[in-house]
Amino acid sequence: MTTMRTPSAARTANASRSARRRATSAVAVIGCLVLAACGSGKSILEAGNEVRPTTTPPTTVPGQTTVPTAPPTTEPRPIDSLPSCDMSALDAAAADGPVELLFWHGMSNELGRELERIADEYNASQQRVEVRLEFQGGYEQTIDKYLQSNTDNRPDLVQMPEYTVQLMVDTQSNVPVQACMDDAGYDASGILPSALGAYATESIQWAMPFNVSNPVLYFNKKVFRDAGLDPEAPPLTLAELAEYGRTIQATGAASYGVALDSAPDGGGGWFLEQWLAKEGEFYSDNANGRSAPSTRVLFDGPTGVELLTGLQDVVVNGGGVYVGENPGGTDAFLKLADTSAPAAMTIATSAALGAVLQFVAGGIIQGIGVEDLGVAPMPSPSGAPGTLIGGASLWITAGRGDAKAAAAFEFVQHLVSPEIQSQWAAATGYVPVNAGAVDVEPLRTVYTADPRFKVAYDQVAQTPDEPTSNGPVLGPLREVRVTAAGAMAQILNGADPAAALADAATLANSLIADYNARRDNAG
Amino acid sequence: MATSTQPHGWRLAGRYALLIGVAVLVLFPIWVMVVGAFKPGNKVLQDPLLPTSVTLDTLRQAWRDGNLGRSLVNSTVVALLVTVAQVVTSVLSAYAFAFLKFPGRTFVFGVFLATLLVPFEATVVVNRETIQDLGWLNSFQGLAVPFLATAFGTFLVRQVFLQLPKDLREAARMDGLGHLGFLREVAVPLARPTLGALALFGFLSSWNQYLWPTVISTDDDWDTVQSGLRTLSQAQIDKPNLVIAGTVIVALPIFLILLVFQRQLVRGLTAGAVKG
Repeated sequence: MTTMRTPSAARTANASRSARRRATSAVAVIGCLVLAACGSGKSILEAGNEVRPTTTPPTTVPGQTTVPTAPPTTEPRPIDSLPSCDMSALDAAAADGPVELLFWHGMSNELGRELERIADEYNASQQRVEVRLEFQGGYEQTIDKYLQSNTDNRPDLVQMPEYTVQLMVDTQSNVPVQACMDDAGYDASGILPSALGAYATESIQWAMPFNVSNPVLYFNKKVFRDAGLDPEAPPLTLAELAEYGRTIQATGAASYGVALDSAPDGGGGWFLEQWLAKEGEFYSDNANGRSAPSTRVLFDGPTGVELLTGLQDVVVNGGGVYVGENPGGTDAFLKLADTSAPAAMTIATSAALGAVLQFVAGGIIQGIGVEDLGVAPMPSPSGAPGTLIGGASLWITAGRGDAKAAAAFEFVQHLVSPEIQSQWAAATGYVPVNAGAVDVEPLRTVYTADPRFKVAYDQVAQTPDEPTSNGPVLGPLREVRVTAAGAMAQILNGADPAAALADAATLANSLIADYNARRDNAG
Repeated sequence: MATSTQPHGWRLAGRYALLIGVAVLVLFPIWVMVVGAFKPGNKVLQDPLLPTSVTLDTLRQAWRDGNLGRSLVNSTVVALLVTVAQVVTSVLSAYAFAFLKFPGRTFVFGVFLATLLVPFEATVVVNRETIQDLGWLNSFQGLAVPFLATAFGTFLVRQVFLQLPKDLREAARMDGLGHLGFLREVAVPLARPTLGALALFGFLSSWNQYLWPTVISTDDDWDTVQSGLRTLSQAQIDKPNLVIAGTVIVALPIFLILLVFQRQLVRGLTAGAVKG
């Protein structure tokens, strides 16, 4: 306002009066603009992204196409009411030349190049489907762009991370892979049950798991030996983790025991889901949202408080070190390579193993070679085996024609075949989703030659067949994770676990209530 | 100050010490960045301040993994489009607001200024839907169109035009110059320093765009440099300095532009500071 008035005042003789008039008109103008902004802001609110924790990455842009048109999913939905899949449409269309299939993915760098190699080989091997890959920059960008786009601008097939299940279901924009599996008579018995289960709600298989990872313990065997600990018997429980840390510190083998972070997709949000599942607890009500949409989180219950109290003890009394939010995913690993005050262990995704081995091979951790890096199951309060499925899955877009959907499923079948899963897992370190892949080269050799790669696979295979073994599906799961990660950060910095979890649960519950209300209104 | 005295002795030494101190502060992060970019990934943590074991491999890999060749072309084309368009639209609209008399001028200018209050982020969704309906996703026009005119530029140039003496306009009219003639022969040449600054500002802000290019391109052939950096920043534990190398590559064109236009820019900022 002042900037506006000054020049005109300098110019006009009758400064004050005209300035006042001008100011009044400008107020009116600004008023309507603000109102207009509010108007569009309201539609954003209804679109599903209004309440966002401030730590949400700025790349996440609300999109209007997130408006879910589904009625509340309280009763099981028959598959018939969902978009259907006609595999014979591909035969008809492929008679006139290959069907072009647009596939959006979030696999960067080496992972992306391996995916491209697989797609190129597939294109060269047959004449029915021509796959075109488009890398979207990462999971977050893939989600944003998918939600913002209309059907014409969406891909035929999209890779979505595990925390988007409910969000994707509510967009009502997909052909459930169940429909294609039924139509094609596909035998899914080879696919790991817990991997399938992660992408099913209310007995509908929505998406096909593709790349699976889970958290494992990475540790420096040389430090273990220096401290007089057995490198073949890594810690299984949080109590042992603290005990090992104290020994490592006391003997001076390293400055710290375990390095912990609070990233939403790492030590903060994701690990909390993992630990609760390992303890046989639900993360949210209605069986993690899989029997009906969740209405609230349960991580602030006694198990959650006990878990976080134990974890806090690892940092406070157990020689652990908290490395912060770990935004790039590398801080915890770099703490192992710290030249002045290194840590001996960290918990991180198994998908990083290949890169971490290269990292160690480069000599960055002084005094240790590739063989000195140990990998073990993720320690938990009780030491129970098993894991939740992390990673991403493949979703077929509806409304782009029967031939495209059929082509998408044809390519999906190829991607999860034992042969391709074997190549994919051996090249990337992901867990194969097809149990048959373990017996096929090159993965068979990799797993026998270097059992460290098999730790994550064993965690999946040992997962008990319990309802709690399928992770939470919440519309705003990403935001809830950010909230939980904030609480974890406070707790690892010394805050009271019960209070911090209660605060986070209150915020998470309002996020869920808000999301559910928007969805019900839209329906 | 009536007469300027040359500082000497301790005073001069003190001044230089201060300048050197500030220069070190400013250059330190850049030094760390350049040193990091020329090291192999596994040597970054050892002697992070010294250029031991120099290699071009990291820069090469950043160029390839970030698809930086293509994205540099995209960014350059878009930034040039935006810069030229912003200067032209700013000059024309500022001329109208400064020299033409028409009903509702103040009101319209108020609307212009009020748009400065609406952050770009608030309009991203609507803008994207417009571009999507036009079928301009993954195109130069989609990347550039929302930025072809700015209220800021209009305001800035109008301020300069308002400071031109009224006599100039009168004299130009006496000499038979019309609106466009006066604009071309008198107003624009006199506003050149400001226009230079505006152009540079437009180029820089377009170059540094992240949100819009991310939202508008679904095909990595249409990535701009900042999206390329995002790709590089995704966890590559064995190459912690890959993103540093990418940043050096992406910052280089901006650095060169500043180097070339530095004199123009400084002259622009100080022009008219002293009345002759």
